[in-house]
Amino acid sequence: MRQSVNNTTPGANLYFAGIDIGSTMTKVVLTDTTDRVLSAIKGPTGPEHRRLANEVMVMALEQAGLRLDDICYIIATGYGRVNVPFADDQITELSCHARGVYSLFPNVRTAVDIGGQDAKCMKIEKGKLVDFVMNDKCAAGTGRFLEVTAATLGIKLEDMGDTSLKATKKIQISNLCTIFAQQEVVALLSRGEKLEDIVAGLHDALASRVAALARRLKVEPDVVLTGGVAKNTGMVKAMKEDLGCELLVPEEPLLTGAMGAAILAREIYMKASAEGETISTKPRRLERATFFS
Amino acid sequence: MSDKGMSKAQDIYLNRSQRAKELKAAGKKIIGYPCVYVPVEMLTALDLVPYRTYGDIKEPVTETDRALPTSFCSIMRTCLDCALKGKDDFLDGMVTAHSCDPQEKTSRVWESYAAYPYFQYIDMPTTVRPEAIEYFKSQLNDFRKTLEAFTGKKLIADKLKSAIEAHNQQRTLVQQLYQLTKPAPPLISGTELVQVVKALMSLPVAEGNELLSQVIDEVKSRTDGPKKKAARLLIWSSTLGDTGIMQLFESKANVVMDETCGGIRAYRGSVKPTADPLDGLADYYLKEITCARTFRQADLGEIRKDYAKDIKSRFGYLKGIVKEWKINGAVLLLVRYCDPFAFEMPSLKDYLDSIGIPSTYIEYDYNLGALAPLKTRAEAFIETIS
Amino acid sequence: MVTGEKKKVINRLKSMHPLRAKVNETYLKSIEAINAGKPAAWAMLNFYYGDPIMKAMDVEVVYPENYGAVAAALGVAQQYLEQAYADGFPTHLCGYSLAGIGYTSKMMREFKGEVPPESPFGGMPKPLFLLSSSAICDARYKWFQALGRYMDVPVWQLESSSPGVNELLIEGASKAMVNMGVKHLKDFVVFLEGILGKKMDWARLEETVDLMLEINRVWYEVNDLRQAKPCPMHSRDFWSAMPAALFMAGDLKDSLQLYRNMYQEVKDRVNDHIGAIPEEKYRLLFAELPPWHSLGFFDKLAERGWNFVIESFGYHPPIPLDLSRISDPLERITRFNLQFFVGYAEDARQKNVPGRSFAYPYIKFATEWKCDGAMLHPLISCRSASTHLPYVANTLIENLKVPSLTIEGDIVDLRLFNPEDALAKAEPFEETMEHYKRVRKQEGFDW
Repeated sequence: MRQSVNNTTPGANLYFAGIDIGSTMTKVVLTDTTDRVLSAIKGPTGPEHRRLANEVMVMALEQAGLRLDDICYIIATGYGRVNVPFADDQITELSCHARGVYSLFPNVRTAVDIGGQDAKCMKIEKGKLVDFVMNDKCAAGTGRFLEVTAATLGIKLEDMGDTSLKATKKIQISNLCTIFAQQEVVALLSRGEKLEDIVAGLHDALASRVAALARRLKVEPDVVLTGGVAKNTGMVKAMKEDLGCELLVPEEPLLTGAMGAAILAREIYMKASAEGETISTKPRRLERATFFS
Repeated sequence: MSDKGMSKAQDIYLNRSQRAKELKAAGKKIIGYPCVYVPVEMLTALDLVPYRTYGDIKEPVTETDRALPTSFCSIMRTCLDCALKGKDDFLDGMVTAHSCDPQEKTSRVWESYAAYPYFQYIDMPTTVRPEAIEYFKSQLNDFRKTLEAFTGKKLIADKLKSAIEAHNQQRTLVQQLYQLTKPAPPLISGTELVQVVKALMSLPVAEGNELLSQVIDEVKSRTDGPKKKAARLLIWSSTLGDTGIMQLFESKANVVMDETCGGIRAYRGSVKPTADPLDGLADYYLKEITCARTFRQADLGEIRKDYAKDIKSRFGYLKGIVKEWKINGAVLLLVRYCDPFAFEMPSLKDYLDSIGIPSTYIEYDYNLGALAPLKTRAEAFIETIS
Repeated sequence: MVTGEKKKVINRLKSMHPLRAKVNETYLKSIEAINAGKPAAWAMLNFYYGDPIMKAMDVEVVYPENYGAVAAALGVAQQYLEQAYADGFPTHLCGYSLAGIGYTSKMMREFKGEVPPESPFGGMPKPLFLLSSSAICDARYKWFQALGRYMDVPVWQLESSSPGVNELLIEGASKAMVNMGVKHLKDFVVFLEGILGKKMDWARLEETVDLMLEINRVWYEVNDLRQAKPCPMHSRDFWSAMPAALFMAGDLKDSLQLYRNMYQEVKDRVNDHIGAIPEEKYRLLFAELPPWHSLGFFDKLAERGWNFVIESFGYHPPIPLDLSRISDPLERITRFNLQFFVGYAEDARQKNVPGRSFAYPYIKFATEWKCDGAMLHPLISCRSASTHLPYVANTLIENLKVPSLTIEGDIVDLRLFNPEDALAKAEPFEETMEHYKRVRKQEGFDW
């Protein structure tokens, strides 16, 4: 959504930014005091977080018709959060996701985020993170598992979900490890098993690992699924089956972290203002020349 | 007041073998030990310099794979790795203890691969029953015999008693130091505690006591201490000897108590004076070191069990600490593959729940690469209690 | 999972069958007895230390480690593991302990202390007390303590000593171990008397100990006979016959007779030069826990001429001891138990193999049983059964020119053991064994 603004007068329109630097994607969300999304941009993270964070930020500002100077408070989150020099503070992606998910689903108590390289489960009370578990050691419990096996099967990753939904037979993938699962998948194919059934089996395998992680916390509704893998309808189905409950999925499952960061930026800034506290901010400067400077 | 003591401690932390090497050049013998269950008083009494080995979190483990598997305590792996790379070649000996499997298994390999002039492995019972303490005492007596053979000197009771007094003095001083984390904000940070303790474990006891006294005086009157943070943490872990780990918690919290083997664990209580000093040592080391490896019960040989009573007897000492240090969160930091701590942790969590202290359990590998994921978990927990 | 072939290549001992059956029967009878009200204990395998005491006091003993293996083999362990994970236990822990913890959690929380329905073999009924043991690994004494969360059942933690090979030489070291062991058992008896509400029958204990010693002596001699060429008894028979002795199952007089029968049958085979497999091309040593769920795999190897002639010393009876001059049964028990841990120490020290007694016996076995190769089976969640294996492999090749083949597995996650993979490695390994046969010949070894 686009909103053009003139120079702000004190106390008038206040703007906040959340930037989520994940291992594969960088996301920026800009909001105002009403928490509505003024712009939301995703871009690949790539090997140089800093440079690309700037670019994504620039695009988001452009989309909203704002300048970096207009942003009162900026929170960075995600795995690359320490590499954002213009961010005023860093908050973990766990707290940010919790807050972002809550803004979309006010009854959320459990959130499960399955990313390209990690999986996280969060317990949430009124938007606040109260407990969590993470897996970032083993690829087999993350989106990477489907990426690798899709490549082995010669299917596009974005088609995996639909393919799995066509399955007619349950297949158990016995191998714990992504590497060995690839071999197993080839063996299953050569044994004459149908592609759809194998793909469904892979989804079930990933779901069982993530669900086992989630069960370390008490899984209580409403349960929300986020992260890149949440766009995979096959995974949503597999997770529902394993957890045995309904799952809510945001329209933009990749943006909840950045959204939460932006909302937290707003909350922190407004709280400090209300209490008359000074709040430290970083120079509003991007490393490269921008459209606005 | 100058900060000579603290900066000296920090220098030693960064270059900790320097003093040991100086002493060695002057004719002293340096004996390494990887675990706080080794009674260092016995080394001091024979004029040997005890030197705690920690491995090195920054050193990639490359040599250990020929002796130990990868799915194995990463602390022992790094200790062995440093030994195999000759990083502790200045040591004249090594003393290990059967505090846990990894140490026991590593000991044998360590002994054969790293040819020290002196090596001793002290067996340890698991309980604190009378016959167990008696057996442990006999192991300490055997340790005495081999030390005497190595040094060519007798370990006389009076010398041992003096050594015990000196080490008890260090314990008292360390306890005083930890009193200085009680204020809000604490006067000394968790990071600085790691540095000071590591410095102590690199020096002969008398030098350590002198340094400690200086540090305590400085810290008491300092004005440049840590900044106040909302979260005041207890860290419960095994070996924690690197400030890099502590710093992950201290950007957003004050660590006011580190229940670790790089912190207060070696310095609780004091060795009681006994006619035969080995009795006091056996009793102290088996009972007072609060490591998960020792099997404790509410009542020895109890024929009735009550879980609430059980966990209170095992962990109740933390209740007073939590109250006095105004701790509002506990991090149960487990080194992966550590079985005693892993089995202990859920019960400790139950106890902390029962006294209303939020806690989180984080698992990590004791190497540099593990610090980034550890940071996220540490910060997320601090966010939940702030 | 490898399914058994119709034609059995391994020539199984007739005398194995009743011994194997005895363990299952004993277990089922035990469960019946417990359900009828007899006092029950859950115990760790304790190497002849706590078992004779409990047997003399008529306690029915259930071994959760065994139950873990059974649950894994029958495919029901996964639900227990998941329960343990959900309860907050770290995933790297021993698979048996996680299965046991998960089982207990379900039994106590979901089924209010009753055995969960559909538990194989009647499950494990809630015990009167728990007997842990620190022998072999840390999990074995921390696990039962952790069960306190689920049930208020008292734990007796059996002490054990594990001195170093060199430290054992220090004057007085052995005596101190025995002293602790005997005193500890005295206190254990007092504990049992308190829990059971009756006094120890010392005459019965004496008889139990005598039988235990004799059974193990006979069983030791059975295994000595396996040094013959061709080897008359395959490891599969060892693994089937071993539990009756190791767990002191059922009626001991009956067991003694069964082992004597086995001795006779094996002796007859030796005299008649009958091997356990038709054509013994390779003699192998197997280290540590076998893949219980996939033992048919050995039949495939037998078809290729692989005879497994000796296995992990941990399951073997201790080297027999002359305890005739020790009158105190508690001391006899203690010394016999210690023999398990230190029996090889002196030999190890003399041959300068310092890697603890866990590695040394393989040198002795490979030499005396004239092995062409070793099959090593590291188990990902059992570090105690796996840590020393690289050292064993190195020592065997360096000292004896005996090569090793490593096949990974796990104690409860059975998916990790891949029999097809293992069989694929067999052919190239045969070439390796052939090569080292030649090397040993050149270097003057006598096999």
